[in-house]
Amino acid sequence: MTKVGDHWNRSITELCFDAASKVLSSAPTNPEALIVANAYSELTSSQAALGPQVSDALELSSCDALKVESAGASGGAALHVAYNLIRSGQVRSALVVGVEKMRDMDPARLVMAQGLSENSEASQFFGVSFASMNALLARLYMKHFGVDRERLSAFPALAHRNSASADHAQFKRKFSAEEVSRSEIVSDPLRVLDCAPVGDGAACLLLTNGEDINSQAKKPIVEILASETCSGRVNFFDRDDPFHFQSTDLATRRALKKSGLPLESIDFFEVHDAYSISTALIMEAIGLSRRGHACLDAASGKFDISGKHPTSTFGGMKARGYPVGAAGVYQVCEAFLQLTRNAGANQVPRAVRGLTHSMSGIDATAFVHILSSAGGAG
Amino acid sequence: MRDRYYRILGDRCLKCGADFFPPVNICRKCGSMELEDREMPRTGTLLSFTLQKESLFGFEDQEPMIFGLVRLANGVKIVSQIVDIPYEALREGMKLHAVFRRVRSDGESGQIFYGYKFGPKRGKQVTSSDT
Repeated sequence: MTKVGDHWNRSITELCFDAASKVLSSAPTNPEALIVANAYSELTSSQAALGPQVSDALELSSCDALKVESAGASGGAALHVAYNLIRSGQVRSALVVGVEKMRDMDPARLVMAQGLSENSEASQFFGVSFASMNALLARLYMKHFGVDRERLSAFPALAHRNSASADHAQFKRKFSAEEVSRSEIVSDPLRVLDCAPVGDGAACLLLTNGEDINSQAKKPIVEILASETCSGRVNFFDRDDPFHFQSTDLATRRALKKSGLPLESIDFFEVHDAYSISTALIMEAIGLSRRGHACLDAASGKFDISGKHPTSTFGGMKARGYPVGAAGVYQVCEAFLQLTRNAGANQVPRAVRGLTHSMSGIDATAFVHILSSAGGAG
Repeated sequence: MRDRYYRILGDRCLKCGADFFPPVNICRKCGSMELEDREMPRTGTLLSFTLQKESLFGFEDQEPMIFGLVRLANGVKIVSQIVDIPYEALREGMKLHAVFRRVRSDGESGQIFYGYKFGPKRGKQVTSSDT
């Protein structure tokens, strides 16, 4: 993982190198596939077809190379593709590289890019931002469940508590719930600190089938037990229940069923916490909180590293940062650190199984992965 | 696309009668592919609203903009810009009416885009002879 933040001097392919170099130099053989996760390269860098662009830059020219894009869920989607390429026997190993370069975009174009996951004819045409779509949902949620402004701030406050000790995080400053509530308005009632920041970054993973890799390679140390996804109605207001994140719910149920594990056996969760309001609805859809109660649970410490269900253990999208297309790959890198006891001050005690959740839009689609340290499959 | 933006032209399922906006090709209620054009009602109820401080490209001159979630009289929900009323005066449950307004001007091509917005007063009805 590169640090999330400003990488003015590094191009998209150079950022990929920064993330991948150590992995490539320690791998026994070159990966047979390269899956690039990215959301906005056409806009930020006038670059399409990142598959061959990146394989060329990484000296992997004869491998299977493609870019996977699913807005905010690009990382989870890329991992899903790599996982299935290996499971099907098509390849024996795959390098997944997530990358995003957004910091040098003009602010108005950035706001436009952030909204690309929404329905452009009905929303973007009129100038609605993605933050506004989340804000409309937030107002409905707060009114329906009696959640006040201070309570909504619990998730960003948690995220910043965790990122304070994360080396690769964009922001290491802690914010109290009160400071979150008083930050500048973006789309009322959402404030700056309710919304994920803009950052550049790249993260890289090497997946193998664990069998025919070079015998001198280290044994696999983290296993992917399940890679599942679900999509649904793009507009939250087109759903029968605007407060039910069905894509997240079903993808989670599928992943748990596939892995044969109950929710209670998962030791930590890396979720797509780009907005305070969507974080609450994600936690409720996963089943970690009752409807309308996620913010209260966050405020009570339930999702702290020392709590019952550690979540966003390095700060998540909100505080570790959100290089959009790379985010889902960062999550799995962080899960890897947890599961190999390399999380330092952010270590979840006795972490054996983790769940990562990568989402696009307001639960338009979700990719859920369940990982375990080898031997932790239950 | 102008019909969609000027006349709020959606469609109705010929099999089950459900209305949709934006129009669909497959009925979301019964799955039928037989739908006909239908203009949506030009009145609705405000369900939620927000004051947007960060503008999209092309809208910088209109900052800040108010957007609302409006349930039209036939139950269809849309997101629309709310105009002709201060943000502080907005209340859930308010009755709003569609108005025909300039959405944005494209500085480069000179093209001007028009469409529906919602406000507290009944606006001029757009007929096909106007466009």
